Amino acid sequence: MRIDQTHRPWVIATVALAIVSTVAYVVYAVEAPAGPRGGSAMGLTFGIVGYGLMLYAGLLGARKRVPTWRIGRAQTWMRGHLWLGLLSLLLILFHGGFAFRGPLTLVLMLLFFIVIGSGILGAAIQHYVPSLMTSRVPLETIYEEIPHVRAQLREEADQLAAAICGPLNGSTEEQTQSVLVEIEHDDRERFREVYLRKVRPYLANPETQGNELGDPLRSGETFEALRRLLAEPVHGVLDDLENICEEEQQLSRQIRIYRWLHAWLLVHVPLSIALLVLGAIHAVMALRY
Amino acid sequence: MAGRIRTNKKLAQRINLNYFKTLRGIPRWRRILSGVFVVAGLGWLGWYALAGSPKPYNAGPLGHAHALLGQKCGACHMSQASYRQSATDQACLGCHDGPVHQEDQRFTPSCSSCHVEHEGAFRLASTSDATCTQCHADLKTTHGASKFVSNIRGFDSSHPEFAALRPGVMDPGTVKFNHQVHLKDELRGPNGGVQLKCADCHRPPGTDESWPFGISGAALKPASFTASDRLPDRSYMQPVDYEKHCATCHTLQFDRRFSESTPHKEPKVVYDFVFNKLTEYIAGHPAEIPLVDEPDKRLPTRPPQPPARNAAEWVQQRMADAQLLLWRKSCKECHALSYSNGYDALPVVAKSAITTRWLPHAEFDHEAHQMVQCASCHAKVNTSRETSDVLIPGIQTCQQCHRAGQDAAEARCFECHVYHDWSKEKPVAGKYTVKQLQ
Repeated sequence: MRIDQTHRPWVIATVALAIVSTVAYVVYAVEAPAGPRGGSAMGLTFGIVGYGLMLYAGLLGARKRVPTWRIGRAQTWMRGHLWLGLLSLLLILFHGGFAFRGPLTLVLMLLFFIVIGSGILGAAIQHYVPSLMTSRVPLETIYEEIPHVRAQLREEADQLAAAICGPLNGSTEEQTQSVLVEIEHDDRERFREVYLRKVRPYLANPETQGNELGDPLRSGETFEALRRLLAEPVHGVLDDLENICEEEQQLSRQIRIYRWLHAWLLVHVPLSIALLVLGAIHAVMALRY
Repeated sequence: MAGRIRTNKKLAQRINLNYFKTLRGIPRWRRILSGVFVVAGLGWLGWYALAGSPKPYNAGPLGHAHALLGQKCGACHMSQASYRQSATDQACLGCHDGPVHQEDQRFTPSCSSCHVEHEGAFRLASTSDATCTQCHADLKTTHGASKFVSNIRGFDSSHPEFAALRPGVMDPGTVKFNHQVHLKDELRGPNGGVQLKCADCHRPPGTDESWPFGISGAALKPASFTASDRLPDRSYMQPVDYEKHCATCHTLQFDRRFSESTPHKEPKVVYDFVFNKLTEYIAGHPAEIPLVDEPDKRLPTRPPQPPARNAAEWVQQRMADAQLLLWRKSCKECHALSYSNGYDALPVVAKSAITTRWLPHAEFDHEAHQMVQCASCHAKVNTSRETSDVLIPGIQTCQQCHRAGQDAAEARCFECHVYHDWSKEKPVAGKYTVKQLQ
């Protein structure tokens, strides 16, 4: 999500709430006889509101899982998640009076800082990287569909190759009978060899490092060399295979960018859930003692 | 051969309609890690719960005084009827008394609101100023207005001048003493000129060093500074004492025939001492009865006395001279004498009324300030001529060091004031065994 003008009301509201909270905290901290304490009325208020905001921020995940819920637009939830989640850190710091000495509170604050830090990092990545995806991956597909799409690309490439040299695993006679493009036997064998040695392995494992077809520049050079090597009628198939390889390259690029876009969630989401669970336990136990 | 055409149909065929049913890659790991972290967190808490240890919920390290109770939450967090198990006053009072501050206070804070635990290893008595100023910033008592200053918000802001230094307040002592004279160069001492130092007369108790101007072997009197038994013994100065501080210069000689001085006691004791000495003397020297003494220059001029006719008359004549010397000169030099029973009767010596503690509502530790020269704080000492001069330093002197800031000495209320009236402290019967505390 880009942080643009549409965030302005959220920013203003967050800053205003932060100022009000800070003023309230300063007055409370100065006047509290024993200093700011999480268990005081004001401290508890900060804690309850802060945890409430954390819960709200955490509910974004639930909101995403059930997109049909009529509980506000996903974008609104995301903006709230960003800004109110950030505000919750301030309120929780006020709750504890900037002190966290016990093991559980220490763990909670450590988790909280990591969650907020990873969230800020994620927001920055989500602000800048999506435009890269648009410009560098025109054939972007749904990330979870990539293995499925790749299987289809392999199948399509095999069909194209079979049109030149017959079934890749069939006998010589079968191969000769099923070809759709009439070329010299030597050219056909040469094409088969090139396909099985270079193209097919790449399509089978497109994420293998160092494969020349995985590199856009080297891939173009390789296919140009193949065009010089093979007869004119095969060039159309070569173009299609090059096109498939290019799509594979884009999928690889999409995976890389996707990882950039989402890897931080491996930290942010699990620790957020742990934070909410342990935070609830902290609340229960702290109210007891 | 035609080129690849991305028709809608082809694109639609690419979609695996069940793709969302199987998580892979980052979403899958996200879910796994979510479970792992939550289970790890719960496992950590569960481990301690099984061991019966409350450690994870400990709000912070305890102060030194309670360090032994670190794993015994129940010692302070007592079970109550409700869900809560907060640290109650009852728990605190089970181990140590907390006497009331003032009988007429309108508000008594809970123990833990001032003595904040789980803050680490420092004195629990180091309370914040706010614990005091919550009342003293606008002090009211159950009887209405307070006799104390009622708007104190801190030592370096609104604390009033010490009561002993406020206008109209004088040293109530009756012993005449001129500090300026006693501190001058070449003061006449028992063996020539001396330069007195503060420590020649003012020292904390417990010093073994002999007093330079006292009678050797003078019995140490019980100290009169036990009003604050919470401070170290060396906090307050020993009271000034004639035998220890004055005797070698200000002798109480009563007759040239005796090198011995009279005891520094009430007139009747002195009278009896002198009478006995003279009686014993003339009994041993009967030949001196008719002799007439040379006039004593220390005595006022008087007509020469006729020769005594017997020992009793001799003693009577010498008693008259001794009393003249003592009551009208030696004793009077320092003490205020009155003759309420007539001039022929023994004089009455005014109570010395030496103030042993100038700040009755605060504590001061001289030992903690021993790196400072005496006159640096007691600045008026060198020019003081009158007993009525109050020579304790004013609040501004203290505030030069005791002020807010990191490079300053402690300036919070507890540094000088004690909340609990320990004179009302009640003994507490211990409830733990050593084993229970291990």
